[in-house]
Amino acid sequence: MEETQITPSLSVPSWSSASTQDQSSTAGQASSTGPQPSKSSVIPPPVKSKGPSPGAGVRRMRRIIAEDAEWSVATVPLLTELCIQHIVKNFQNNPILKQLLPEHQKKVLNQLSPDLPLAVTANLIEDENYWRRCCTQRWPVCHVDEHGGSWKRMFFELHLENLLKHFIPSTTDPEVILSLLPLCRNYVHTIRVDQFLPPVQLPPPLRGGDQSDSSSEGEMEEPATGHYQLGDLVAGLSHLEELDLVYGVKDCGMNFEWNLFLFTYRDCHSLAATVKACHTLKIFRLTRSKVDDDKARILVFSLLDHAALEELDLSHNLIGDRGARAAAKLLGHSRLRVLNLANNQVRAPGAQSLAHALAHNSNLVSLNLRLNCIEDEGGQVLAHALQTNKCLTTLHLGGNELSEPTATLLSQVLSINTTLTSINLSCNHIGLDGGKQLLEGMSDNKTLLEFDLRLSGIAQESEYLIGQALCANREAARQRALSPSHFMSPATAKGPENLAG
Amino acid sequence: MNPPGSLRVLEEKEKEHLATPIVGPSIHSDNPQERIQARRLRIAARLEARRRETLGEHLDGKESEEDQSKSYKQKEESRLKLAKLLLCGTELVTNIQVAADIREVHRRAEEEEIKRQRLEKLENEVKTSQDKFDEIAMKWEEGKQKRIPQELWEMLNAQQVHCAGLVEDKNKLISELQQELETKHDQYVKDLKKQSGDICLLLERMEEQVKNVMKTFRQELQYIEKAFEVERQELLTNNKKKWEQALQAHSAKELEYLMNRIKKVEDHEKQLNKQRIWDCEEYNTIKIKLEQDVQILEQQLQQMKATYQLNQEKLEYSFQVLKKRDEESTVIKSQQKRKINCLHDVLNNLRSKYNKQVKQFQEENQSLTSDYKRLVMQFKEMQKAMRHFALIDDKQFREIWLMNEEEAKDLISRAFDVDRVIHTHHLGLPWTAPDFWFLKNVGPISQQQRKSATQILEEVLMEAEEEGAEEAASEPGSYLDLPKQVSAKTTRKILMLLCDESGFLIESKLLSLLLPLDKNECYLLKLDAIFSALGIENEDDLYKLVNFFLKYQAHHSPPSQERTSLVSPLEKLDLQGEKEGSLVDREPQEKQPPPSPRLIHPNDVLKILEAFVTGLRKPRDFRAPVKLLKVVRDDSKDSEYWKALTTVIPATTLNLWDALYTALEKYHLVLTQRAKLLLESRSLEWQDTELRQLLQQYLDAKINSELQAPPTQVFRVPTK
Repeated sequence: MEETQITPSLSVPSWSSASTQDQSSTAGQASSTGPQPSKSSVIPPPVKSKGPSPGAGVRRMRRIIAEDAEWSVATVPLLTELCIQHIVKNFQNNPILKQLLPEHQKKVLNQLSPDLPLAVTANLIEDENYWRRCCTQRWPVCHVDEHGGSWKRMFFELHLENLLKHFIPSTTDPEVILSLLPLCRNYVHTIRVDQFLPPVQLPPPLRGGDQSDSSSEGEMEEPATGHYQLGDLVAGLSHLEELDLVYGVKDCGMNFEWNLFLFTYRDCHSLAATVKACHTLKIFRLTRSKVDDDKARILVFSLLDHAALEELDLSHNLIGDRGARAAAKLLGHSRLRVLNLANNQVRAPGAQSLAHALAHNSNLVSLNLRLNCIEDEGGQVLAHALQTNKCLTTLHLGGNELSEPTATLLSQVLSINTTLTSINLSCNHIGLDGGKQLLEGMSDNKTLLEFDLRLSGIAQESEYLIGQALCANREAARQRALSPSHFMSPATAKGPENLAG
Repeated sequence: MNPPGSLRVLEEKEKEHLATPIVGPSIHSDNPQERIQARRLRIAARLEARRRETLGEHLDGKESEEDQSKSYKQKEESRLKLAKLLLCGTELVTNIQVAADIREVHRRAEEEEIKRQRLEKLENEVKTSQDKFDEIAMKWEEGKQKRIPQELWEMLNAQQVHCAGLVEDKNKLISELQQELETKHDQYVKDLKKQSGDICLLLERMEEQVKNVMKTFRQELQYIEKAFEVERQELLTNNKKKWEQALQAHSAKELEYLMNRIKKVEDHEKQLNKQRIWDCEEYNTIKIKLEQDVQILEQQLQQMKATYQLNQEKLEYSFQVLKKRDEESTVIKSQQKRKINCLHDVLNNLRSKYNKQVKQFQEENQSLTSDYKRLVMQFKEMQKAMRHFALIDDKQFREIWLMNEEEAKDLISRAFDVDRVIHTHHLGLPWTAPDFWFLKNVGPISQQQRKSATQILEEVLMEAEEEGAEEAASEPGSYLDLPKQVSAKTTRKILMLLCDESGFLIESKLLSLLLPLDKNECYLLKLDAIFSALGIENEDDLYKLVNFFLKYQAHHSPPSQERTSLVSPLEKLDLQGEKEGSLVDREPQEKQPPPSPRLIHPNDVLKILEAFVTGLRKPRDFRAPVKLLKVVRDDSKDSEYWKALTTVIPATTLNLWDALYTALEKYHLVLTQRAKLLLESRSLEWQDTELRQLLQQYLDAKINSELQAPPTQVFRVPTK
């Protein structure tokens, strides 16, 4: 059986060879041509194929004729095939899958339409191929790796995200999301929402930001209600591990209003309660949401002694020293491994409290304070803390107005510490002398693999030499990883070092 | 936010410090492809240098490094190259972010400065305007005091002007701020554009990076593959060479082997020929010999044939004979058969006879056994009778003995009497009665009859019974010839203890029978049973037992001291039954001898018994023959006894008596003579008297009176 397309305008011979199996392309094509041919999968009913032939004059119509000489009407498909067809057709009303033999199951799954209601498919179908079709049909770009390699999980996560993104409080029925809960509770591990629509008085001001010409510029009212409350949803998801939220609106264009980006206290309290109740949560990100000190404190206090939390990301907010102090307290009362406070307003006192917590902490692996303003005072304290800390591997202090005194202390740390593998000091004013000191520190260090000193006023020579030392360290680390018995590592590690010297 | 130009400058700076001057494509050129090429070349050169160095280092030391060869080197090289590329690429990409960061930092710093200035300005403004306002307010007060309308008007005008000035100032400030705002707006828009430009650049670079990386990866893969290919080729050629060499060596060897083989084959052929010739000769000689043999054998055959015929005739004859014999033997056979039949009959008869006889003998046997039984019975009866007779004999013997003894003793006493009379009356010596052992003996002499254990028991018990009565006049050692160290009491205690403790040795039937009996009897019977069970039969055994108990107790005495308190109340209880009366007196006495048998703990009794029984086994064995001997009476002492009886009077006395006898006989003789003389004298006297009478008569007769003379003078002379 072969399908050919007789379209005078578009003579695409390659398409005919792209056979029936290419579901996505046929589906894509089907949307443009009409629903009839999309149903024709493996065994197109002969009547239908012959039907359109007289109307060949109509443009963009597909006609299917039999070119195979052996093909005849008399060829009757197998009964199993017919049954499978029937099952596929009536799957929505009578889903039969588990009772079938494995090869029949496969066939049915291959032929099922991705448009079936989730209520039918969600808990019934485990087949990844089906969910892959569902995903590729709905979203053009799919990174399945970001969803644990599972298409089904990806489908549900993206679906839920989509719903949340377009949820308008007091306008959309919350049942829309809650009804999905029993279907997706076992598959959703991550919620990533980068927009929460605010409640609005005018019914369609921002439908995902598509309508560009709604004139709601002059209204500066405080929102009566907050954003969508995640509490019920999160409580229902038993496997939720990651929560990535941005309280803001995307693509608002010229409709920009400050109150679109409000993260109210009400939101904050409800979110804090939600996070506290979710015991499986490992990663919590709340970025670009104008979280100030008080809100950060509310959130952090709800996270104290959380059993599972490993990563906290509050970057791109307005957190000051008090918020940083709260975060430092959290370091002592949780098993936090990653803390990200990039692009906030942490100054020296905040850095001091963080350093104090860091000195006695044995969980934290990564600390990011990019684009804050801790200055030398904070930098020195942090360096002191690193002399006792035996756990931190990654430290980002880019853009913190640090200068030579911090570099001196850090060079001492470098010669002592054996856990740090990555330090970022870019965009500071370390200066030529600071660079030399850091180079001295580097000469004693054998563990550091990355040391970013770009745009920090260091002499090129010292930066180059530091780079050489890092290369040697990387080589040694690689040797160590290859052979745990440190046999060859000293010999090979010496070569590049000699070069550097 | 920097324009892209500045970014590039940054980037170039970044590159510069990594760069080493290389001819060819310049890193500073505008064409990105060229730049990439240049960078790659640079990296390759650097790697090459490093590799050379490492190789140079390891050349002499490590041959293994060489062995790992091209592919390994290529891999390492590619890896390093790729790592470098990735690092550079990411650096390139992140440069944008870093640049943006620093711009942001700068912006923030500036912003802060501007903000500060603005605040200052505003504060100043507030102050000045406040002053102005205060001034105006003051004037209002002044105005109120003014009464002249003109002045008031003037003042109002002035106020108006002042107010207008104030407002204008404010407006100016507002407009300034607004202008600033607008510039900020413009700045914002510019920033946005810049950022979008940055993002575009970032994307571009990322794409470029991806492309580059892919390209270089492919290239490196190719290089590696090529290296592998080359290595494989080398290996192949090497192996081929080796293979060919091996093949050549092999063929040479093969040839050698072939030559050897040919030589060997020739040798073998020669040998074969020799062998053949030799074989032929041998064959011929053997053939001749065999032919000769055949002739001889033919001759022998002829002879054999002759003998054969002869033998045939002989055999025919003997056949005839045998036939005849056969006939005879058939006859004999029939005869024998008949005989056999006869013999069978006989046999049957004999069998029946035999059976009969067996029966008969059985009967006989039965009768004999019955006889035997009867005889045994009789024998037993006889024995009984014999025992009876023995007893009677004993008795008779005893009686006779007693009789004889009595007689002897009479005689002896008479002899003693006589002796005494002789001594006292005749000799005037004091007489002492001789004291001999046999004099006191009554009845037949025998070794002290061994008493059976039960008898002793009885005695002991009886003693105990009596003891209660005759406590005061107790003669502890007298009543029994027990071993000296063992008192009767202790014996008794031990026995009681034994009786109480070893009840298990007594049959239960006996126990039930014993219940109604008296206590002592009860003990007696129980002990009897126990002794029979233990194998104690006579006195000695009993004493052994008692001694054993004592010894055992002596060995174990130290711990037993503690037990006294435990044991004594038990014994008291035991004692109470029999000696109710004397209990109070006895208590202190009994407590004094420390090694009292009472101290034996009842629990030890069984152990002691066990030890005793095992000890007793051994001497038991040779008891039987001794027992037999005991039946025969020992009469060795009898004759001695009797002889002793005869010699009751010692020989000296007899001699004395003999001497006395002779003396007395002499004396008797004298006396008899005297008597005779007396008689004579008496007769003479009588004659005298008669004569006197006659004389008297005569005298009386008046004649005599004148004739009177004293006769005594006449008669006394002859008596002397």
